[in-house]
Amino acid sequence: MISIKEVLILVALFFSIGVYGVLTRRNTIGILMSIELLFNSACLSFVTFSKYYYPAFLKGQIFVLFIISVAAADTVVGLALLLCIYRKLKDVYVDRINIMKG
Amino acid sequence: MSERILFYCIAVITILSAVGVVSARNIFHAGLLLGSTLFSIAGLYLILGTEFLAAVQVLLYVGGILTLILFAIMLTVKLSDKSIKQTSEQKGISICISIVIFGILCGCILKTEMANISKSGIMTTPSDIGKHLFVYEVLPFELLSILLLVALIGAIILARKEEGEK
Repeated sequence: MISIKEVLILVALFFSIGVYGVLTRRNTIGILMSIELLFNSACLSFVTFSKYYYPAFLKGQIFVLFIISVAAADTVVGLALLLCIYRKLKDVYVDRINIMKG
Repeated sequence: MSERILFYCIAVITILSAVGVVSARNIFHAGLLLGSTLFSIAGLYLILGTEFLAAVQVLLYVGGILTLILFAIMLTVKLSDKSIKQTSEQKGISICISIVIFGILCGCILKTEMANISKSGIMTTPSDIGKHLFVYEVLPFELLSILLLVALIGAIILARKEEGEK
């Protein structure tokens, strides 16, 4: 039987990989993809706790459904902003998008 | 026992493809690896016994968000971008920060005394989830639909061409 700690350590590893991606990626789409990894690790921990401790109580799974929908909404807005910036500046690298710098 | 082996196989696939997502030089390869990561997360949901969430994960993430991201990559990245460095100069300090975060989380997980209970075999059918959603969570559900509508309209307004632009 898989113990809860093994799943949680997998979640922690997954989360720190996502943090590394958010910090190092130069491409805006890469940052968005790393944020998806963070969302997924949070979802996985919700499901794990819900399944192990409150199996008859569906709050954890419903919360994951909400997280997935909100993730879809924020990806849509993020990519629309990205396309907007790309049309204006012809660039997607965050260190070159510095027109607000005084 | 076989469940454990399956869990470790899927965990290794998940971690390897997640590493690929954050470190691949070609951003398109990173996008495809994100697809494999999301698929293996759906596999983990299946092992944990939440079939409905696995289906939603494949439908929404792999079918929706991943397609969107791949299209955005194709619309923005020029072919010459393959030679451009994809990681910033803060690589070393980022590795330190993520290792520290991993260490803190692992320390917390290993130190906490969790009741040593195993995963229960109670099945939750999609109809249970639907009943719970529409009995106890109606307000968040409706708010979510408004949020999705606002995101849709916002995305259309942001991404369309402005009047003077050619």
